[in-house]
Order: sequence, then C-alpha cells, then structure tokens
Amino acid sequence: MAAGQQWVLVEMVQAFYEAPAYHLILEGILILWIVRLLFFSKTYKPHETYKLTEKEKEDLIEEWQPEPLVPPVSKDHPSLNYDVVTGPPSHKIIINGKECTNFASFNFLGLLDSDRVKDKALASLKKYGVGTCGPRGFYGTFDVHLELESRLAKFMRTEEAIIYSYGFATIASAIPAYSKRGDIIFVDEAACFSIQKGLQASRSFIKYFKHNDMEDLERLLKEQELEDQKNPRKARVTRKFIVVEGLYINTADVCPLPELVRLKYKYKVRIFLEESMSFGVLGEHGKGVTEHFGVNIDDIDLISANMENAVASIGGFCCGRSFVIDHQRLSGQGYCFSASLPPMLAAAAIEALSIMEEDPEIFSVLKRRCSQVHQALQGIPGLKLVGVPFSPALHLQLERSSGCRSSDLQLLRSIVDHCLDRHVALTVARYLEKEERFVPPPSIRVVVTVEQTDEDIQKAVSCIREAASIFLR
Amino acid sequence: MVLLTFAIPFLTVPLVWTLTNVIHNLAMYLFLHTVKGTPFETPDQGKARLLTHWEQMDNGIQFTSSRKFLTISPIVLYILTSFYTKYDPTHFFINTCSLLSVLLPKLPQFHGVRVFGINKY
Repeated sequence: MAAGQQWVLVEMVQAFYEAPAYHLILEGILILWIVRLLFFSKTYKPHETYKLTEKEKEDLIEEWQPEPLVPPVSKDHPSLNYDVVTGPPSHKIIINGKECTNFASFNFLGLLDSDRVKDKALASLKKYGVGTCGPRGFYGTFDVHLELESRLAKFMRTEEAIIYSYGFATIASAIPAYSKRGDIIFVDEAACFSIQKGLQASRSFIKYFKHNDMEDLERLLKEQELEDQKNPRKARVTRKFIVVEGLYINTADVCPLPELVRLKYKYKVRIFLEESMSFGVLGEHGKGVTEHFGVNIDDIDLISANMENAVASIGGFCCGRSFVIDHQRLSGQGYCFSASLPPMLAAAAIEALSIMEEDPEIFSVLKRRCSQVHQALQGIPGLKLVGVPFSPALHLQLERSSGCRSSDLQLLRSIVDHCLDRHVALTVARYLEKEERFVPPPSIRVVVTVEQTDEDIQKAVSCIREAASIFLR
Repeated sequence: MVLLTFAIPFLTVPLVWTLTNVIHNLAMYLFLHTVKGTPFETPDQGKARLLTHWEQMDNGIQFTSSRKFLTISPIVLYILTSFYTKYDPTHFFINTCSLLSVLLPKLPQFHGVRVFGINKY
C-alpha cells in the first residue's frame, strides 16, 4: 500500500535520530514545562486580597460590637399601629369599625365593586379553583392567562403582552431582563420603589436626572455620547435605557413624553415606560400616557404597568413588540420563577378591560372629578397641593416643614386622624426611608375616584381645611 | 484519523497528524480563549460577561487540575505529531505556531490580557 509505506516504525525511529537540534531542544523544554506543571506549581488565586496578621485579626474581633437583631423601636411607631379595614376597600370603607368615604385606595374607576367583575370572578373561581400552584412553565398557564395577554395587547395596540402575578415584581423583573452589568440606565429621581429595586437587580450603571428636567437628561446623554466617541468598541456593546413613569406616584406629575421620544431618536437610547398610575386613567380610551400625548405606541420600547390600581385586579403586565416581550418569557425572573396569576383574578381583569372598552365615558368623568378636586384643594393655608390637574392621586405637602421628618409625619397623621373621625378616609404617603434613594417629602395622598359625589368631595375638602387650621397654626 | 490515510490517497500520515494538531488547537483556541461570557444567566450577575472560558474556569484560580490537564494535552499531541511528521521543518513551523497560540493564553500572566484590544468587549 502506498500510504502504508510511510508508516514503518523503523523509519520513524531513524528520523528521530536525524531530527534537527532546535526541534529536540523545544521538545525538551516542553517536557520540562509539563514536569513543572505536574509537580512544582501550586494553585493560587491572582489578585490575592491583603492577608491579615493574627494580631490584626484579634484586634478586629475585640472591636466588634454586635448590633441587636431587632433594633429598638418606639411603641408608637406608625407601622406597629395598623388601621384595620374590615370589608372591601370600595367607595365606603370600614376602618377600625368606622364607615368612611374612601379617598385613599387606588380604585380610580370604581371597578372594585363592579357586579359584572365579581360575577365573572366567581364563575372563574368555581371553574378553576383559587390558585395555580405553579409558574407559567410548569402547568401554570391557563387559557385565561393567554386570553388576558391577547386582550391587553389588542387594547394597547402592541404586538404582544406578558402577565406577571405581582405588580411590584413586574418592572423589577423587566428591567434586569434587558439591562445587565455594564449597561447604562438614565432614570428620573422620582422613580418609584419597584423601579429602584429593578435597577439594583440589574447591576447596571445608573445615572439619575432631575425630576422631569429634560435639559439635565440631555446633558447626561451628551456626556455619554462624548465617552462613546472616545471608545467606540465599548459603546457598540453597551446598551442604554431611559426609565420613566407615565404618572409619577411620588409627585403626581406626568413625564414629557414627546420630548423623551425626540431624545430617544437623537441619542439612540431605549425608553421603558412605567404606566401603573396612568393605565386606565389618561387618554381618551384609557390607554395611558401615550394616548394622552398622541405619541405612536411603537416609539416606546416597553410599557409596563401593574393591574392593581385602575383595573382593580392583582398582578402586572408588560407590552410592546413581540421581539421585546418574548425575551421576558425566559429572562423575566418574576415570570419564570413565581406562580402564575390566579385565574379568578385574570378573569376579573379581562372583565375590567371589557368594561373599559365598552364605556370610555368613565375616563372623562374621572378627569372632570380630578380637576374638580384639584381646584377645591387649592389654597388651604399651611398645605400646598402637588400634582397636575388630571392626576387621580394628589399629594398635600406641608408648606413650611419643621425640619424633622418624623414630626412632619406626626403632624400629617393628626390631620388624617381628624378626617377619619369625621368619616373621611385619607392616608399619609409611606416610604421605606432607609431604602429609598431620594425620599419624597412627607405628604397626604388624596385619591380621586369616579364613585365620589360632589357632596363627598366638598365634605372631604372642608374636613381637611378644618384640620389644617387646627393643627397648622 | 490515521485511518483516513487508508481511505483518501493524497492524505499522508504526516499531513493527517499536522491537520489533527492544527484543528485541535484551533478548536481549543476558539472555545476557551475567544468566546466570552455565558450562554445562560449565572448567579454572579454578569461579572463574567467579558471573560473567556479559560479565565472563568475555577473562578480564576491558576494551576488547578483542570487547567493543568488542558495545558498538558496540546503538548502531548504536539510531541506525538512531531514524531509522526518525522521532524520535518515545514510541519515543525506550522505545529509550533499552532501550539504557541494555544499555550500562551493559558499562562497566568495572560489572565485578562487582550492583545491590541482584540476581543476586548
């Protein structure tokens, strides 16, 4: 065989004896390297952290003072004294045994008490039971989930929607699904707590711009553009996002969406819009802040909202292009690793959507009531009203703060107690002060719903005025 | 692969061994020293996004058993190849270049080094 002739062992060994010197030297070096690897190298970690001496360790141990597991807290801390609600938090709410008019729950469209919604939920309860006992991937996907997703996508006129079972987790899972370590996110300072947790989970670079200040945002975007020009290879793999809310829950403002879309196309960033307060509130048909400003829905890359406010259900959804939303089906932590939404609540949400589609009059009624309340709450001595006239959740802040947050909160709490005694339910806006990035000033949150009558509003306003004149000399 | 020499007439034994060595080192370079990051989400929240597989192996600890094995196997293959190619100079040149391309990135001094900024981001 012709090929076999080259493979005679004797010839090979002969070639070994005639091998060039450099080749054998190289092989010798390699064999020595193998021996060194096998016998003379220790495993070690590069960039070893500074090793402490025994004395330093002893010193550190002696200095350490253990903190108590539960920090001492005064007995009248507000979180230890709950206001207990019996019965549903509908227009008339029973707090601590007293029946009050509800100016505190986010039941904007009054769908909490709707008979149609309750009937559908009961029918669904009899059909499916209460819970789902499984995430979407493990037999937790029911036909009501798929129906709700397609109904939401059709309502918002996007390609696809995805449902989460917990409203807080919606935006907190959506942000880290797209933005990872090394990416850049530009956020408004007044972003709500769930957005902040999503930002923390994403490990990206967070740049805050002043609330609703487009010049500040443009300045930050320009700085980023300069850096990108210095290092174009890094810029090509860095993703940039802007996260804003439609109606801010902390300041009752609306974001300047057309300006943001202009900045998006100028500086090539993606926009994530959080519409928890504005879904079912703003716009002619309740489609949110995009309809309010007349912005094309395809300009916004991701819209996220929770269904716990106007829709009066539980959970949240994200909607957008299929290309964007499909990614969350495997990367959305709250979607893959939490049990899915109970079908009873999904059916209730579908019915609420039907009501919203059939009767777009309620949105103009709500808008009228909001401007009515906004008008009526102006000019209370000692309190200033914060919020735009069409926002259903307004804030009443102290005009002159005493400098100490807890005494301000106590003052506001006394106003709220005064109103509670007169059967008007209000609430002080509560925050986790140590966890929030920019804690908003203490305020009373006044919520407007379609079910409130003119008398209710007048009574509430007069109670607040009275309380302000008593407590805020 | 040596059986290929019986199947295809123009593939001689030295050529087959050189091809084996080169293809093995090319595949090793591609999978261990070119591709960065992870195909799935890891608990380290993306710290390894810019690291190659070799740099991620054993969390950056040098000279562990896996690393030693993966360093020694191309050397053994090279020694076998140079025996079977009868120490021919052309084959020597190709095989040595290929071996160096796969041994140098494995040195601890090259941990995280990106020459000329290639493959940095």
